[in-house]
Amino acid sequence: MSVVELADVRKSYKLGDTVVEALRGVSVSIDKGEFLAIAGPSGSGKSTLLNMLGCIDVPSSGRVTIDGADVGGLSDRELTRYRRTKIGFIFQSFNLIPVLDVYENIEFPLLVKSKLTRKEREALVMRFIEEVGLDDRIKNKPNELSGGQRQRVAIARALVTRPLIVLADEPTANLDSGTGIRIVELMRSINESDKTTFIFSTHDAHIMREAKRVINVLDGKVVGYDGAEV
Amino acid sequence: MLVLRLALRTIMRRKGRMVLIGSLVAFGTFLSVFGTAFSSSAGEASRASIIDNFTGDLIVYSARSKELPSPFAFNTPLPNIRNADEVGRFLSASPEVLTWASFAQNYGLVQVERDGRKVDLPFIFYAVEPGPYRKVFPNVDVKDGSFFGIREDGALSPPGTGVTGDGSTGDRARGVMISAFQNGQYLRNYGVQLRVGERVTLLGITEGGANALPSRVTGIFEPKHYKSVFNYINFVDAATYSELYNYTGVTALPEALNAGLAAAQGGEDAIFGLADAGIGELDLGSLRSEALSGFTMIAVKLKDHATVDRFIAAIEATDGLEVKAARWDAASGFYASISKALQAFIWLATGLVFLVVALIFANTLIINVVERTAEIGTMRAIGSDKSFVRNMFLAETLILNLAAALVGMVAAGVVMAALSGGVPLPETISQFLIGGGRLPLRANAWHFVQTLVAVAVVSVLATLYPVRVATSITPLKAMSER
Ligand SMILES: Nc1ncnc2c1ncn2[C@@H]1O[C@H](COP(=O)(O)OP(=O)(O)O)[C@@H](O)[C@H]1O
Ligand SMILES: [Mg+2]
Repeated sequence: MSVVELADVRKSYKLGDTVVEALRGVSVSIDKGEFLAIAGPSGSGKSTLLNMLGCIDVPSSGRVTIDGADVGGLSDRELTRYRRTKIGFIFQSFNLIPVLDVYENIEFPLLVKSKLTRKEREALVMRFIEEVGLDDRIKNKPNELSGGQRQRVAIARALVTRPLIVLADEPTANLDSGTGIRIVELMRSINESDKTTFIFSTHDAHIMREAKRVINVLDGKVVGYDGAEV
Repeated sequence: MLVLRLALRTIMRRKGRMVLIGSLVAFGTFLSVFGTAFSSSAGEASRASIIDNFTGDLIVYSARSKELPSPFAFNTPLPNIRNADEVGRFLSASPEVLTWASFAQNYGLVQVERDGRKVDLPFIFYAVEPGPYRKVFPNVDVKDGSFFGIREDGALSPPGTGVTGDGSTGDRARGVMISAFQNGQYLRNYGVQLRVGERVTLLGITEGGANALPSRVTGIFEPKHYKSVFNYINFVDAATYSELYNYTGVTALPEALNAGLAAAQGGEDAIFGLADAGIGELDLGSLRSEALSGFTMIAVKLKDHATVDRFIAAIEATDGLEVKAARWDAASGFYASISKALQAFIWLATGLVFLVVALIFANTLIINVVERTAEIGTMRAIGSDKSFVRNMFLAETLILNLAAALVGMVAAGVVMAALSGGVPLPETISQFLIGGGRLPLRANAWHFVQTLVAVAVVSVLATLYPVRVATSITPLKAMSER
């Protein structure tokens, strides 16, 4: 069963007089538990595609279905609720809250609106801190961490709400290749252990190789699928 | 709470900028607390000073007057109060009244002989009942002689201390009191100076010509307050004044004549009728002449100032008195307006400072928002609502500004405590504002509460636009470069 689906999604941006067509009719269906890479050169539309999947932006036309529900026409508030409850985000630049420490950054999505008790929150946060191997960094601020450590915090933060899908837009682009590989390996091991769906974009062939399935995009179109089971 | 934690830490993270903004807010707060305390103290002191020096809580004057009473309008004298005795009885019988004094303003000439030459010295004066006047207005500092034999507390001087030249004392000390400043002016302009006890001739100008009355100088004084006006004002006792201006009337007229006079208002026939009816039968021997006061104003002091409006309504509504009454502020002319203008100015200045601080504050906040675009976008992307973003900025603003306001208020408290002996003012300003001297500063909790509310309201207003900018940041901005 697909957790998220795009049907003939188009997205164009107006830049002055010209119209940039970032997506030109993309249809994809992603199943629960997938570990999927979206590959393509810079400017091909990877980020735009992920933004559609993550309710960060809305398509100019076409349909986005998440967990069986059409999200077209939803209000900002409802889209925000989708992002909060169903989707986890990992960013290229890590995007941690600079004034919060590791523990607090991971706890953040749970504090925004969840009704969990302090104990329940703590259990979740500690579980994912351990899962990404940062138990000895709990009290550190983001600026006291290396890039790889920051991205681990981001991964824990994306997972802590137990989302349906985790979206990662070029999560390794700001890391050296060794660290990048380890980050993708971490994501993959989590995917295997608890069946969380991961969708990440990359233009790095080494990283692509870690994916169970790859969708290739070019000029705003899906140009092919490859990479069955590794 | 997450929002508070974020706000607090964000403030700490941008310490330099926040301290700068905080100092501005603290300064504004200081200004507001001090300014409101100052202006309300000035208002209060001005009121007390005006009441104690010119007007009392109110001035009673003739109902026939078209002008408001003004203690400084010497060139437009008010009509006399006709029923002065009845008004006096009313005041004596009113439990709200603490004390009262009748007076009038006028001008005349003091004629003095020097080396066989007569010199006419112009002077303006208050005609007063010395005892009551002194009790109501403790503004006279006697330098030489006596205030018509009346002590500072309004009582008679012990025998022998009143100076009248002919050896009489106390209540019989009649004549003129000359301001020391005025006397100096005489020396400068006429080469003549008046001396206590010396014989003078007072010249009063009436419709029928000039009246002359032999009199004396009973004392030289300096005003304690409002020197800018009282330096020019002298005093004449009521009895002398009445004689000088022929304020005499006739008592014991037969009732029939009065009735006839009243009827005569009707027309000419009635007037001729009068001759037959009454006048011919008048027994001139039974008539007595009576000195009338010539008073135009009665300054009334109340036990409780708050009752002034009620008291005015009561006296104006009483039949037969034929008087109106003006509150102290209406009767003091521009003196009451000065402190009101000052208060308005302080309000305006404080408002302006608040406006400027609010603009600088809003501007800084917008810079913060722009700098934190990616951070806010990230929060939105991972599930924070717009309201979360708004609350975060509101919390930041309120934490910073209330802390700064606290600092400003403590500073204001310290400064005001240090000025508990009164605020020194330039003498010319002080003269007009409160009659001279230091301004006693009276702060109360209200000045602080008022400012705190203003800071809170202005803070929230100043965040409106920056918050709008912040909440319009889309989750897409999480991806923007920092
Ligand atoms: N906000 C935007 N405004 C205008 N053009 C945009 C915007 N976002 C993306 N684009 C354009 O859309 C195309 C796809 O961009 P993007 O999805 O970021 O590609 P990728 O992530 O693969 O590099 C590019 O040509 C890009 O310039
Ligand atoms: Mg991209």
